[in-house]
Amino acid sequence: MSDEHEHNHPAHAHDHGHHEPMTPDDAGSQALAEALRSSFAIVKFVMAALVVVFLVSGVFQVGPQEKGVVLRFGRTVGTGQQALLGPGLHWSFPYPIDEVVKIPYKEVQSVESTAGWFYMTPAQWTAYDMNGELPRGPGQLNPAVDGYAITADRNIIHTRARIYYQINDPISAVFHFSDGANPALSLAGVSNIVQNALNNALLYTAAHFGVDAVLTSDPYGFQDAVLQRVTQLADNEGLGITIQQCDVKSIPPRQLQGIFEQVAAARQNQTKFLYGAHAYENQVTNSANAQASSIINGAKSAGVRYVQNLQADAKAFSDLLPNYLINPGLFEQERLVQTMGQVMTNAVFKAYLPTSAGGEPTELRLQLNREPPGPNTGAAGL
Amino acid sequence: MKRNLITLITAAVLAVIFTLLLFTFQVRESEVAVVTTFGKVAGTCQPGLHLRWPWPIQQVYKFDERIQNFEDKFSESLTADSITLITSVYVGWRISDAPSFLNSFKGGSVSTAQSQLESLLRSANMTVVSKHQLSDFVNADPKLLGFDEIQHEIEQMVEDELQTNSYGIHIEFLGLKRIELPESVTQAVFDRMATERNILISKANNEGQADAIKIRANADRQANETLANAQAQAKRIEGEGEAEGARTLPILQQNPDLAVFLLRIDALKSALNQKATLILDQHTPPFDLFQGLPTNSPSH
Repeated sequence: MSDEHEHNHPAHAHDHGHHEPMTPDDAGSQALAEALRSSFAIVKFVMAALVVVFLVSGVFQVGPQEKGVVLRFGRTVGTGQQALLGPGLHWSFPYPIDEVVKIPYKEVQSVESTAGWFYMTPAQWTAYDMNGELPRGPGQLNPAVDGYAITADRNIIHTRARIYYQINDPISAVFHFSDGANPALSLAGVSNIVQNALNNALLYTAAHFGVDAVLTSDPYGFQDAVLQRVTQLADNEGLGITIQQCDVKSIPPRQLQGIFEQVAAARQNQTKFLYGAHAYENQVTNSANAQASSIINGAKSAGVRYVQNLQADAKAFSDLLPNYLINPGLFEQERLVQTMGQVMTNAVFKAYLPTSAGGEPTELRLQLNREPPGPNTGAAGL
Repeated sequence: MKRNLITLITAAVLAVIFTLLLFTFQVRESEVAVVTTFGKVAGTCQPGLHLRWPWPIQQVYKFDERIQNFEDKFSESLTADSITLITSVYVGWRISDAPSFLNSFKGGSVSTAQSQLESLLRSANMTVVSKHQLSDFVNADPKLLGFDEIQHEIEQMVEDELQTNSYGIHIEFLGLKRIELPESVTQAVFDRMATERNILISKANNEGQADAIKIRANADRQANETLANAQAQAKRIEGEGEAEGARTLPILQQNPDLAVFLLRIDALKSALNQKATLILDQHTPPFDLFQGLPTNSPSH
């Protein structure tokens, strides 16, 4: 600049005593002007580039497991679901106009409560989840590290739960709940509170369930009650979540595992006894019922037969009566003799024993054998 | 001249940006800002862009207005029935009055506030627990369970303290996170539980057998009853049959002699139906025919 000034100046200053010709386009100054022009072009280019960079720097990407929110001068752009930017490329004004906040986000969130469980190392958790293997523990529970719940009947149980939930309004959740010391905007704040609500639900539900209900007789009732409580807490605390599922797992203290198993075995035995007794009951009552119906049916058919016989007799009587009335004596003789004939035919052994003329009793000796197995062998001998 | 203009514009833009940075500030959603002028609170600002005088005239303090989750450490207290309980609570608290918060805690430090909150929670915990019996904490009867009342009392007590001291903090919710017993007591509980389990084992064994016997006896009794009923019913049916049969009696009464005769004939037939041995004398028809014949018996 100063050089340029110096060159322009002599053109107007004759009194300076310089007598050089007024040619600004001498080789040196021309080169200088050229250099300045080109450097200015570079500056312009750089400035334009900076503007472009400034604008392009507003492009940002939202990953697959996150949502983006744009804050313009601190306030969210858009409301509710509209304010949430899904995965992909987006543009916003660069800082300090806009600020982009990326929130780790999953459609279904889940949180686990182990506040009711004794201390286990991650390796022990893995072993337990794989094959239900519980580590041996000390005889006592240290409240500083070991969690548990006290049941209504003042027993100690361990219980843990996992819930799966959806966040109804992620924007509101992010701007209403803080993750403690961490000023970043995230859903961690809400998930911490959900976890505590779940801790509380386990404690509360155990406090009015008996140990046997939780562990054996009604574990699903317990699980439902936990779900109900945590849902109620989420509503009361305004967490804005919809809980979809709740899985609860409860065990007796490891220190008493053996004896709890013995109770289960004894109860199984009891059930077996009862099953046996019920089977006997079924068999006995069924057979009694069958017998009873056979008795009743027998009586019914005997009755019918009896009546039919009588009716048949009565009919025969009515049919015979006219003949009888004609000559009762003859009728009787005829019938008697006829019957005797039949009877005699049927009789296996017949003996005729006339009365002694003198009226003396006749001695008759009868020797009865035991009935032989063969058929038709008369059992009599004289 | 043109070049000068560009220079000027650049300088102006830079000056404007610099001034803006110096004279404005942003408050983010979920935050609240307290502006102090020469150390005195001049006002609070909601989210958005705001004007300010530069330091040292005005200072801006920003506070997170969101609900913060805080869990206290264990506090050990004695219940009304002298049982030591170790409890821990979680609270959702919030800065509800930022200027008061700033005045109460140096530089508006959240950690100072939390340690204040913790000591309030501890004393409230102990006071409330000492007013309740263990049966208020655990009870099979939901109506007698004082769980929610206990939580509410602690919350109320802490909230009252916070209001009285104008800490600028509000408790949104509070819940029990742990209720435990001292380590040495857990052993005693285990011993008692083991005893209860043993009782249950012998009860299950005895009850199983007793119930089985009862069920069997009941089954036998029921079977006998069924049979007895069936027999009674059979008798009744028999009686009904006889009653019906008796209706034929008037027919037979037309001539009792014939009726009796026919019955006797029938009886004779069925009596000597099979494998009978008959010994007859001459009085029996048709052998009475032999009566007139000479016999070889000795005669008088």
